[in-house]
Amino acid sequence: MWRLFGAALVLAACGMFGALVARARTERIRVLGELETAFSMLATEIGYAATPLPEALLKVSRHSPPPVDGFLERAAGEIAGPSGVPTAEAWAAAVRAQRSRWCLAREDEAVLLDLGPYLGQTGAADQEKHLRLTLTRLGRLHARAEAEAHVQSRLWRYLGLCAGGLMVLLFY
Amino acid sequence: MTGQDRFEQEIVAVMPPRLRPLFSALPAEVRERVTEIRLRVSRPVMIVLAGDDHWFLGPKGITRDPAGAFTFGADEGAQFLQFISRSSVYALEEEFRQGYVTLPGGHRVGFCGEAVVDGQGVRTLKHVAHFNLRIARELPGVADPVLPYLISRGRVCHTLVVSPPGCGKTTLLRDLARQISRGVPALGLGGLNVAIVDERSEIAACHRGVPQHDVGPRTDISDRCPKAAGIFHVLRAMSPQVLITDEIGRPEDGPAIMEALNAGVSVIASAHGASWAEAASRPALKELAGAGAIERVVVLSRRRGPGTLERVTDPRSGRHFGNKPSLAAVCMS
Repeated sequence: MWRLFGAALVLAACGMFGALVARARTERIRVLGELETAFSMLATEIGYAATPLPEALLKVSRHSPPPVDGFLERAAGEIAGPSGVPTAEAWAAAVRAQRSRWCLAREDEAVLLDLGPYLGQTGAADQEKHLRLTLTRLGRLHARAEAEAHVQSRLWRYLGLCAGGLMVLLFY
Repeated sequence: MTGQDRFEQEIVAVMPPRLRPLFSALPAEVRERVTEIRLRVSRPVMIVLAGDDHWFLGPKGITRDPAGAFTFGADEGAQFLQFISRSSVYALEEEFRQGYVTLPGGHRVGFCGEAVVDGQGVRTLKHVAHFNLRIARELPGVADPVLPYLISRGRVCHTLVVSPPGCGKTTLLRDLARQISRGVPALGLGGLNVAIVDERSEIAACHRGVPQHDVGPRTDISDRCPKAAGIFHVLRAMSPQVLITDEIGRPEDGPAIMEALNAGVSVIASAHGASWAEAASRPALKELAGAGAIERVVVLSRRRGPGTLERVTDPRSGRHFGNKPSLAAVCMS
């Protein structure tokens, strides 16, 4: 009886692990999409309204769902904060602080970090160009993540269950 | 907030990180006398104290020797630009065209760089490498020695403040605005509605529409608007009793001032010049002088330091109202 219960537990745990990894893949796609929307709004705030960066980030954060809202709010706080660190460092600190809160891959974060040294440092037309470039790069990652998601999500779910089944067979 | 706190929060806070400890370490008596900080990429940081030029910022404080001073690097230039723009250089494009930006506290940063020119003039600046941070200080009471001569039978006389640059014209206008707006019961003057046409944002030093200096409770400000247009605008929109504006000199300024005079508004303005005769020869003032419209001329100089009051005269009769060197002591010491 206890062996049967243990086997079910191992199977469920492995299945859940696979499902979690699969869910992270789907969540990454959602966050990339939300970031694209946020950067489009930021480009408008900067290019047309010339809203100062901290205010623009806060404004966009209010229209963004979690975890993008938290990231933008943090970035606004770091940039406007009294510590007086350069914008690129403040931006990078906000990206790093977000690592445990979202499911982005390192290549996604690299796109965000690449924007930091240019953010707010040049004229409006140039800022728009940098934001459009970031949007294009995020768009590519988004499309690739979506294409891979169908296969990988199913793969991780099955892999979890299969690994659980294998462990049960080995233990018995 | 004390002067020390203001220096720390408004000046030191916008400096590049490497410069902050050097400025923070300046003795209180030096901080109180700093009028300008000149930052030029690849050259030593220069500090101008009231009436005493050419000090440089070194690791042991200020020094006369530029060789031992802190050299302002290109990175520091970019950081300074970032801090004064609050990480939003793109939001300063109009300020780049104008050549200066007003900071919280009313301090002004003028800058130079490589001009990007299009068919309509300077579009923006790039490679900004020269900064002049002018520290704003309110000097309440600086107009006290002059004000009694500018009020006649309960009304403010049409007045022109004349001096070469850097002699305290704007400081005097600011205090006149504050006192006239509040009212001066001792002189029989109730508070009046004042409009300041502040084309260069120096008198009230508005930051996001809010004056950074005390210019009085009944004062409206047309900020950064071309002077003549600003005068017509405030006359139409704000019904002022007194109009104050700085540095009249363009041909279109004269007719705009005449319009205000004809509307029954008392005008206090300033103009560059060492004397009334010199100022009155300028095209913008010829018509005003010819019409006998100016009732009082206040002449300032730097003879005993910025803000030395040379004389107050009625240019129509040539009458002198007094010679009050005390203004120098009040103004910049």
